This record gives sequence, structure tokens and C-alpha cells, in this order.
Amino acid sequence: MQIGISHYLVISSVLFTLGVLTVLNRRNIIVILMGIELMLNSAGLNFAAFSRFVVGNSEGQAFSIFIILVAAAEAAVALAIVLRTFQNLKTVEIDKIQSLKN
Amino acid sequence: MIKNLLLLIPLLPFVAFSIQIFIGRKLPRGGDWVSVFAIFSSFVLALIVFFQVIGKNDPQIWMSWAFTWLPLSELSGELSGVRIGVMADNMTAIMLLMVTLCATLIHLFSTWYMHGEVRYSRFFAYLSLFTGSMLGLVVSDNLLTLFIFWELMGFCSYSLIGFYFERESAVRANIKAFMTTRIGDTCLFVGIMILWMEFKSLRFEDIYHAISAGGALQGEILGVNKAFLAGFLVLMGTVGKSAQFPLQVWLPDAMEGPTPVSALIHAATMVAAGVYLILRMTPLLQLGDVLIVVAYIGAFTAFFASLLAVIQNDIKGVLAYSTISQLGYMVLGVGVGAYAAAFMHLITHALFKACLFMSSGSVIHGVHTQDMREMGGLRKKMPITCASMTIATCAIAGFPFFSGFVSKDKILAQTLYVGGIEHSQHILLPIFGFTAAAITAFYMFRLIFLTFFGEPRDHHKYEHTHKEHVRELNRWIPLAVLAGLSLSVFFSGSITGALHSDQIFGAYNDWFENLIQSPVHHLSAVEDEHGHHLAHNLALTISLVVAFGGALLSALFYFWKKIDPNRIKESLNQIYVILQNKYYFDWFYIEIIIKRAFIPVAAFFGYVDMELYDRYVIDGWAKVAKLGYGTARLVDDEVIDYLLVDGAGRSAFTLGLGVRVLQNGKVQGYLMIGVLLTLCSAFYIFLI
Repeated sequence: MQIGISHYLVISSVLFTLGVLTVLNRRNIIVILMGIELMLNSAGLNFAAFSRFVVGNSEGQAFSIFIILVAAAEAAVALAIVLRTFQNLKTVEIDKIQSLKN
Repeated sequence: MIKNLLLLIPLLPFVAFSIQIFIGRKLPRGGDWVSVFAIFSSFVLALIVFFQVIGKNDPQIWMSWAFTWLPLSELSGELSGVRIGVMADNMTAIMLLMVTLCATLIHLFSTWYMHGEVRYSRFFAYLSLFTGSMLGLVVSDNLLTLFIFWELMGFCSYSLIGFYFERESAVRANIKAFMTTRIGDTCLFVGIMILWMEFKSLRFEDIYHAISAGGALQGEILGVNKAFLAGFLVLMGTVGKSAQFPLQVWLPDAMEGPTPVSALIHAATMVAAGVYLILRMTPLLQLGDVLIVVAYIGAFTAFFASLLAVIQNDIKGVLAYSTISQLGYMVLGVGVGAYAAAFMHLITHALFKACLFMSSGSVIHGVHTQDMREMGGLRKKMPITCASMTIATCAIAGFPFFSGFVSKDKILAQTLYVGGIEHSQHILLPIFGFTAAAITAFYMFRLIFLTFFGEPRDHHKYEHTHKEHVRELNRWIPLAVLAGLSLSVFFSGSITGALHSDQIFGAYNDWFENLIQSPVHHLSAVEDEHGHHLAHNLALTISLVVAFGGALLSALFYFWKKIDPNRIKESLNQIYVILQNKYYFDWFYIEIIIKRAFIPVAAFFGYVDMELYDRYVIDGWAKVAKLGYGTARLVDDEVIDYLLVDGAGRSAFTLGLGVRVLQNGKVQGYLMIGVLLTLCSAFYIFLI
């Protein structure tokens, strides 16, 4: 069986869906950040797949590299925020962090 | 310069009125000096105007100034408007002098007569307003302002007749005076409107020009000749104001006011205005052939009012009826075309009647009664009053050397000429005239004899009468001045007053007749020299005979007491009762006209008004309006207010409630919405 674009897209969408569901359902901020990583990776996978099968050059794969890069930076910033939040609020549960409400 | 004088003369009393009515009570002496000073200044100004007249010796209008007071539309293409202003001719000048002189003396006399009375300063305020209105009327050059001042005088007479409004009789008298003259005023106003429609101007100058040009007032209104109708309505104004038959009923009651007011009403202002009006409007009366009506009204009034004066026991009552009678002479004079003589009688009568009234005031104030039966022998107590009143009585009775002789004789001569020689069917006019002259002499001397001569009939009152004192300057100076002016020499230039003879200034010097002429020269155009001469000599003789005869008869009755008046009274009982009831005029007006005609008609219209019009039309409209209002309120409350205004707020509120649920502070909730929306838009994009 020839591995084609549809396989990539299926895996990518599965990854994305898992990421969305993780973000929507889990309460731990760390896990939500993982869900976001999953979605970014699925987008990266899409770029690579379209670059390989549809466009035919390597510009899209360069975008994948950029996404990994930005995701790493984002994770660093986000984890720093989470760390500060935990230090201040003594929790990483997203439901409990509601001090902007009211 | 004359224009300013003419404006200033009426203005000064008006200023005095304004000062008096507002701050009069706070001024020293109740502010009477303000009024006296103002009216005296007017008198001085009037003197200036008068001497200009003597200098000019031109009977036509010699000063006229007007401005457009009320610009009207230019529908007919030409600019029109109501023009009002002031004018002066010789008549104006003489009138101004007479009115200001009388008014000054009456004001002066009032400071004595009204001293210590209630509402002292208000009395002077009204007196000034009265005089100012009369002066305004005299300087008016048009019928509109004349009518305005005419009505102002009506108001003033109303307030002054009812000055002692604590007395019910005074209140009745002032209402009667106001309402009776109102009938005449209404007629006059309709007449003025007819003239306006015809001439598109109310100025005397324009009316005179239009009438002398001819062709004016042709056609008919309601089947009556237009000129006759206009003239008759103007005449009705005079009939009301000058108390002529049949509207004479108010004047005798007008003596309810203080005596100086009677002097003012009877002499200088109110009643003089009526005669002044027909003198001004003579061309109109002539055009409409109203003059003969005028003559008959005058002659009849002169006659029947003089009879009433005979039976009066009230000293002011005699004078009141004598005023009606003398006004009748003036009206008669206008009617027969004795234009200058009628005007002259207006002036002479004003002077001696003011004197008579103020003398009677002096008597009343001294004796504290108005009933002549309680007087008698007063000549010892008040010699100056007695002398001045006797002089004025000689004047009104028409004795030679006195002013009344000149003017009355002229009127009677012309009446005799018109009624006896020219048109013998009008023989009634001179008969009435001469009879009235005889009766006038009789009742006036009756007044003198009863009041000043004989023995005191009420000794108690006589004892309590204060002796007249020379120190009371403001009491006797007005009387003396007016008594002096009752001499004939001031009016005819001759000592006895007889014309065509006895000249003292060298030549025939009838300055009055030279100055006063009808504004349109139709009157006595046909000169029957012989007839006039005959009538004049005859009239002179008859006047002298009747005047002295009347006086002599009076002396027989009341001075020598040869004839007992009570016997005559009993033998003529029926006539006496009729006279006592004033010919049943009051009864007729009240019982028949008012109770039988006016009140049922008024009740009918009241019924129509209250029951039909008010109930169905007015209330019906109210119901319709109420219904509309209810609907409108419903729409407003339910639709506009509830649905739209509140609805806008409420929808925002409800939306807020819904949206608020989403804004729950849970990040995942927001994300959920984001995802859902993204999915929705994805579906939307891919499905379409």
C-alpha cells in the first residue's frame, strides 16, 4: 500500500483533535500546554505533507522547523508563567485560576 | 411747536394720573398739588394755543399732524392704514381753553371740598384722568382716538360716580351711567365702522374733503340710506354721552358722585364731548339729512327735561335736569344749523354750569343736606356763593349782560328762523325752545329763592352752617372766576350781549362767530337777510319776555309767596305724579325693556348657551377629546413606552442575561466557544 497524503492528513487531524480535546477537557495547565503542543505538531505535519506531496518544494518543511522553534519558545514562556502562577496561587488547576473574574 | 403743545396738553393730566394712582397716598397732602399743577400747566399751554388762534383768525383747520399708527395690508394695491394724530382749528383751541380752565378751577375747588375725605388722592387721580381724556378727545384729529378717549371718559365717569361705593345707590348709579352710555357708544362705534368702510380713513380732514367732493356714502345698508344711517349712529353716540332723549336717564343719577365730579361731568368733560362730536360731524349729519332729527331730539329734550327740573327738591337734581335741558339747546342749535351758536352755548354753559355746581357743592358742604326744603336764608351765611350762583343763574336763564343770553338767543333766533319762517311745519321747534327757556328761568330762580332767600326753614341746620370765610381761597376763587366769565362781554364783545347793536369795541365784534364756522360750507348757505333779521329781533324780544316772565313767576311763587306752590301742585296732581316718576322712563326701561324684553331674551339665549351649546357642543367636544386622549394614552403607554422604549432596554437586558452565562471566567469555556464557532464556519465554508 502506497503511503500517500491522506495518511498524513488523517494522522495530522487525529493529532489535532486529540490536542483540542486535551485543551478543552483537562484541567491541569501542564497537560493543556501538552495539548497545544500536539496541535502545533499536527500543523507542522500538515506543512511537511503538503510540501512533499502537493507543492513539491521544501518551503513548507522550513515552516515545520519554524513551528517547532516557536513551539519551544512558547513552551518556555508558558511554563514560566505556569511556574509563577503556581508560586502565587498554589495551584495549576485551570478552573481555580479565576482571580480576573468578578 | 403747536404739535408738541397739543400732545403735551392731554399728556400732563395723564402723567398726574399715573403719579397719583401709584404713589399719591405717600405724597404730602395726598398729592393733590400734582394734579392741580399738571392741569394748570395744561391751562397755560392751552392759553398759548388760544392766542395763536386769535392771531390767525382763520376758521379752517390750521395745524394737523398724523402718522400711520396701524399699517394695513396693501390688498387693493395702495398702501393704507389707520392714521392718527392731532389737529388744531379754532374750535379745538377754544375747547382746550375751556376744558383746562374749568378743570383747573374744579381741581382747585376739590382741594377744599374733598378735604379729609376717604380716598383723597385717588379722587384726584381719576379727576386728572377724566380731564386728560377730554383733552385727548379734543385734540384728536380722527374718530378712532376720539372714540378711545370717549370710552376712557366713560370709565372715569363710572369710577367717579361710584366714588362712594360704600353706598348702594352710588353703585347703582354708576352702573346705570355706564350701561346707558354704552348703548350710545356701541351705536357710535358701528357708525365709525361705516365711515371707515366708506372713506378708508377716520381723520376729520379726509372725511370733510370726501364729503365736500361729493358722491360719498351713496347706497343703502339694510334698506336704509347709508349717509343717514352713519349720521344717525353718530348722533346716537351723542344722545348717550350728552344725555339726550331717550337716553337721558343716567345723568340725574350721576349726582351720586362728589359734587366736583358733577361739575366736571356736567360742564367741561363728559356731556360736552357728545355735543363736540356732533359739531365735528356736522357735514356728515347734513349729508344724511339727520339734522332735522337732531333738532327735534334737542328741542324735545330741552323742553321735557326743564319740566322735570321744576319739581326737584334736590339742589343738585335741579342742576342735573337743567344740564340735560341746556344740552338739548346745543343739540337743537346743531340741528337748525346754528353751528357757532351751539358751540358757543357749549362753552358758556360749561362755564356757568361749573359755577352752579361748585356753588351747590359749597352750599351742600356747608349745610350738610341736598334738600332745598331744609335750606333758606343762606345768603347771610355764604354771601360769595350766593352772589356767584345768582350770576350764573342769570346766565343760564338768559338775562342780558350774561353769557347765556348771547348763545341761547342765537340758537333760538336760528330755530325761529328755521321753524317759524323757513319751514313752518317745524313750528314745534321754536315753541319747545322758548317754553323751555321760560321754564329754565322759573326753576333756576326757584332754586335761588329756596336756597338763599326767605327765612331758614330748618333752624337746626342753619345754626350749624359755618359762615363762609374769605380765607378759604380754594373755595371762593373758582366760583368768582367762573361767575366773572358768565358775563356776556367775553363772548360777544358787547356789554348786554345783544348783537348788531351796543358795540363797545367800536365795531361789530362777534369774535366767536368769526372764528367758528362749519368745516364744510353748506350750512346756512342761502342767506335770507330779511328773514334772519326778523327772526333775530323777534327771538330777542321773546327770549327777554320768557326769561323775565319765568323769573317773575318764580319770584311770585317763592319770594313774595303770593301763590302757594302746593295748591298748584294739588290741582295739577296727575302731571305732578308723572313728573315725579320722571315720565316713567326708568320704569319703562326697567320694567318693560329690561324685564319683559331683555331678561326673557337673555334667558332664552342663556338656555341655548348653557343647555344646548354648552351641553352638546362643548361637552361633546370634550368627550371626543377625552376619547382621543384615552386612545392616545393607550398607544403611548402600551406601544411607545412599553414596547419600544422599555422594549429596547429589556431586550438589551435579556441578551445580556444570555450572554452573561458564557462569560463565566472559565478559559476552557471560551475555548469551547471558539472551537464550536470555528467548526461552524468550517461547515459553512465547506458545505456551501
